[in-house]
Amino acid sequence: MSSAQAPPPASAAPAKPPSGLVAALEYTGVPKSWLSKRPRLPSRNWMIFISVVSSITYLYVDDRRQCKAIRQEYIDKVKHLSEEKLDSLDMPRKIKVFACKWPGDDEYDRSMKYFKKYVKPIFVAAAVDYELHNGNQHGALAHLLANKIKERRREEAGIATPSTSMALPGHPQSPEQVRRKELEGGTVIVGRHTFKEYMLGLRRGWTEDLAIVDEERELAKALEDDGVFDEPELPETMHADLGESDAPAPALNTQPSPIIFSPLQQMRQSAPLPPRTPAQTSSPPPFAAPVPPPDAIPTQPPILLVPFVNRLGFFNVPMMIVDFFNERRKVREGAKAAYALVISQTRDMHGSSLNVPLELQSADATDLDFDVENERYFRSSYAKRPEEIAKARANYYKELPAKITIARELARGVREPTKDETAHPPPTEVELRAERMKKEKRWREDEEAWKFLKAGERVVWDERFDGKLSLFVDPVGLGVGNLEMGDKV
Amino acid sequence: MFGLGGSSSAASSGPVNPAQIEMAVAELDMITDVFNRLVSSCHAKCISTRYSEPDLNKGESVCVDRCVAKYFDVNKKVGERLQTMGGVAQQSGSFGGGH
Repeated sequence: MSSAQAPPPASAAPAKPPSGLVAALEYTGVPKSWLSKRPRLPSRNWMIFISVVSSITYLYVDDRRQCKAIRQEYIDKVKHLSEEKLDSLDMPRKIKVFACKWPGDDEYDRSMKYFKKYVKPIFVAAAVDYELHNGNQHGALAHLLANKIKERRREEAGIATPSTSMALPGHPQSPEQVRRKELEGGTVIVGRHTFKEYMLGLRRGWTEDLAIVDEERELAKALEDDGVFDEPELPETMHADLGESDAPAPALNTQPSPIIFSPLQQMRQSAPLPPRTPAQTSSPPPFAAPVPPPDAIPTQPPILLVPFVNRLGFFNVPMMIVDFFNERRKVREGAKAAYALVISQTRDMHGSSLNVPLELQSADATDLDFDVENERYFRSSYAKRPEEIAKARANYYKELPAKITIARELARGVREPTKDETAHPPPTEVELRAERMKKEKRWREDEEAWKFLKAGERVVWDERFDGKLSLFVDPVGLGVGNLEMGDKV
Repeated sequence: MFGLGGSSSAASSGPVNPAQIEMAVAELDMITDVFNRLVSSCHAKCISTRYSEPDLNKGESVCVDRCVAKYFDVNKKVGERLQTMGGVAQQSGSFGGGH
């Protein structure tokens, strides 16, 4: 008994008293079994989970940290430019930014968002003012540019309608001063699709003649003879009621006593209408001879080409995921481009392989091939856009006669409207005409733009552009604070 | 620049019309109010309080330009929106359209 009763009390406790951390924790209330266990790795499944989650998190966090560092590095390089003095009547350097809708995309401001996220912060830090122009539809930018250039040509030829711009202090600027400010500024073009539209607009502006063309009127005339709205038996001719398509008059004018909440609204009402309408209401003097396009165009402000890819479609999702974890690449590209514009080192643009210097020559490489490898990301369905438009058109014209007959029956009182029709009145004939014109206009513009924007189409060039267009290049060998080279501040 | 809207009515008639004067005074008050708010808002946002030199530097100039442009834009839009809302309320016969 005595032997069974005598388990040496020392064996219940360890041979030596607990030391170190275990001793410190012994009286804290931590369960003793925890202190004597050996630490173990978690199970295999937990290991897999932890390693996967932590590596993905690390990739994300590290990428964003590097993005911030890169952005801050470029901001620090240009920050000193914003701390210089500016006289109160001087204007800062102003650049124009063009971004267009990617072919095949439904969103029209992806390129502009790229600009705002990756390129703009450097401009803000360098105190360079910018004007944003977004091409909301395909071909809109080319149209806008061509019109602007024609306005300028009209001014120079002396047949311009004078615009009503307010005379601000420091602002009766002569055209030469305006041109000089433009040349000091610059143009930013985001993406190859925008580049195509820009060059197209440039060439059109300097090639077309200067007659003021109201496209809506032309289209209306073309559609009138189309016979869609004609009636089969009755010989009445319905006059196209087109005055209504361009103006729901602003609600402000029709109210008896408008409450003015802001003095700026009132100014807008009483100030003369924008310069477009005087051109329409006063008949423009017929030109004795149409002004021919000039042989030489003036020097254009230098261009900054920003490469841009928009990944669309289901099969691009893996690349989108890779991009998500690699934003630092886009930040660096955008910041480098912005820095190049701020430092303002330029070179001539080479459009034809005749004057490409030897070191740049490789089979047919010109500046017009900017970003051509990203053309394969144009949506593949965009190549079939004309067929899509034709199909939509056929569909629309198939369903149109039914709607016209309903509208006419209701308008002439041939029959009473049904309950559904009183609840949701069907479109009247005037509305149908307006809708048709809107759709035709949109389809035609789209078709026009497709011819130039589709993948594989080269950027247009004109011999007159030789030597007048220049590009911003990456400054080579310039350190921080080295500003002698072409410093335009 | 601000006088475009109001000056046309004030300068036309010879014998002064008290109603027109009232309108002109009200408009001037509104404009001054807008101007004061604009100045205080953009000054607070754009111009740092550490005055190291008398002239504005480029960063501040650009900031002030854009601040003023945005302010005018928003002011106009809000005014138009209030006006259409007020017009709708007037037409439907109920004032202070709730929402």
